[in-house]
This record gives sequence, C-alpha cells and structure tokens, in this order.
Amino acid sequence: MTDEAVVRVDSVSVRYHQNLVVDRVSFTVARGAVYALLGRNGAGKSSLIRCLLGLQRPTSGQVFVFGEDVWRHRARLLGRTAYVPEACDAPGQLRVRDVVAFYKSMYPAWEESAVRDRLARIGVSESATVAALSKGQRALFTLALALGSKPELLVLDDPTLGLDVVARNDFFSDFIGELADRGTTVILTTHDLAGVEGIANRVGILQGAHLALDEEVEQMKLERGQSLEQVFTDITRVSGRLP
Amino acid sequence: MPTPRKDAWSDRIPVQPSDPRPIWSQIEEGLRRLLASSALAPGDPVPSVRELATDLRVNPATVSKAYQRLVGAGLLEVRRGDGTYVSATPPAVRKSEQTRLIRQAAMNFASLAITHGAELKTARESLEQAWEELSSNRRGDGR
Repeated sequence: MTDEAVVRVDSVSVRYHQNLVVDRVSFTVARGAVYALLGRNGAGKSSLIRCLLGLQRPTSGQVFVFGEDVWRHRARLLGRTAYVPEACDAPGQLRVRDVVAFYKSMYPAWEESAVRDRLARIGVSESATVAALSKGQRALFTLALALGSKPELLVLDDPTLGLDVVARNDFFSDFIGELADRGTTVILTTHDLAGVEGIANRVGILQGAHLALDEEVEQMKLERGQSLEQVFTDITRVSGRLP
Repeated sequence: MPTPRKDAWSDRIPVQPSDPRPIWSQIEEGLRRLLASSALAPGDPVPSVRELATDLRVNPATVSKAYQRLVGAGLLEVRRGDGTYVSATPPAVRKSEQTRLIRQAAMNFASLAITHGAELKTARESLEQAWEELSSNRRGDGR
C-alpha cells in the first residue's frame, strides 16, 4: 500500500500553546480511496486538514502527499490537489464567470467545457453573482470549481453542512459521478454520517486529539455489526459530554 | 409491467447504508432478488456502475464489487464496450438460489399475513391474485 498511498500522515501533532489538539496521528489514504475523517467539533479535524493542504506546519511529524513532504513542496503539490471549503469563499459581488476565469488562470489543466456543462446542469448562470446563488448552488459551484482543475486529490471540509436534503443529494450525486469517471482520491470531514456511510471506503475517527479508529468501512460494519453512526457515537461518547 | 423509470433503481434495489450488512452485499442481494423474480430477464441490460452508484448514492467501487461477484457467479455478463447484461444463459445454481429466495419471501409474506390475523385461505387467494396480475403483465410486456 505504501506505493499506492496518495496521502501519508506520519505521527502528526499540532499544539497551540499548551493545548495539544492533534496527538501523534498517523494514517494513509490509498489511491482512489474515499477517506472520511470524523470527529466532534474541536476534535482536531480542521487542524489536520490544514496540515494536509500545507497551510499549516505540524508541531511535529510530517504529511506526505504523492510521496512528498507537503510543507516543503506545498506550492507544487497544491496544483494536484483541490480543496472544497465548508462554505464558498468567493466574494459575493463577483459574477460566476469571473470566478471561473480566475480559477482558469491558475490551473493550466483547467477543463473549460466540463465546468460549463456542470454549471449548466446545476442551473447556475454564469452571469449570476455568487451572492445570488442558493446555498445548494453555492456548494455545487464550489465543487465544480474544485473539479475543474482535474485534481488527483480532493479535500472536502464538511461540504454538505447546512444543505437541505435535495441539495445534499445533488451534491453527492455529482461527487459520486466524479469518483466513477476519474477515480479521484478523496479526504473529507463531515458530520453527515448517513451521507458518507455509503460513499467512504475508509473512516478515521478523531477523539481527544487521537485517531481512535482507522478502518475500512465495510470491514468495520461486518466485524462490529453496527452502523457507522453507532460506532461513531460509541467512540465519541467516551468523553461523557453530550454532543 | 410498467417500463422501469431511469431513476427507479433506488426503489428496486433497497440499500440502507446504515444497515450493518456491507453495501455491496445489499446490492448483490437486491439484484439477485430482481433476477430470481424475473423482474430482470435474461439478456436485459443492467445500469452502468456510474448510473447505479449515483442513483443509490454509494461509492462506484461498491457497485463494481457487487457486479463482479454476480459476473463471477455467472448471473451477469459484461459485453465489452457495450455494458453489463443479465446472462442469456443463467447458470444451473440459479435454481437453488431461486428456491431459497422464494422460501424466504414466503416466510415474510406468511408472517405478515399472520400478524394481521389473516386466514390461510385469504393469504393464498391474495398470492394467487398477485400471481395472476404479474403473469398477465409479463405476457403483455412483449418479451
């Protein structure tokens, strides 16, 4: 699996002053896998994602993407990675076509026609301003932008947060189509356990700064006879606090 | 039988991601059920991996695994560059599988009827009526 690993997190710790939020976390993500990184709020997911993207240097340990240290080679590696933030971060007053043009200027491998098709399919007009899009459209627009660069690695941070059921289903359908067509490697964080249960091949659960579980989803369900939600609840309830 | 809608696979193959059974096995079981009940006949096309995965909202690799197992069992066949179809010549093992599925479904039906306090006679009549309806639909299906 080492050869096939697109991401290798090697004993990563993140500390803010006295607060250790990620404690010696290690895991790998194989090529073509969908890895769901779960944990309650404050479990260290966002810090870990920032380390993965090369936006933050781990206090100790390393993250390797495509076999290279992310922090040292982040500029080069970011060209092969796309990030879908929790909320669309494009300025609201910009028109869709301007945002697309900006992305196009950054990525040499930009898929102009595929992005156009995708926007037409989700009913996003290129002359609309970002602010005029519905929440669901903004999520799909952000996904379309991320996929436009034909990423080998896609990182999504709670992409369906706050979407209604229709928008959420549209999002997952689009996302699954991408998996089927290109076999993109994916890491996503989410609170939508039901949504990712059928999509993730592997799951990692962060609890109290540690990676409390790192298993193949189907194997985990078979061995434990429990759904992902049950396993997640069991593991994260340890702290004794209510969610 | 009404022509299946393009997006109806999620109705025909019930998949519950929260069910502890692996999803590939739920898909496999669902397709086996459709085959055993002749809802899918020999030579019928099955949806592409992409289509079924999108419709069921599961990972394409999971659908692929279910298909591979059914191809391995001789129930489905891949026609290069064309798609996946129900085998024109289903293997002999299908008979015992059919018996098993029918027994299982009969058990479900019987327990439902008993729960609702139905007499055996009423239950039998309902079965015969359903049988008639399906048979006449199949005859009118042009297959």
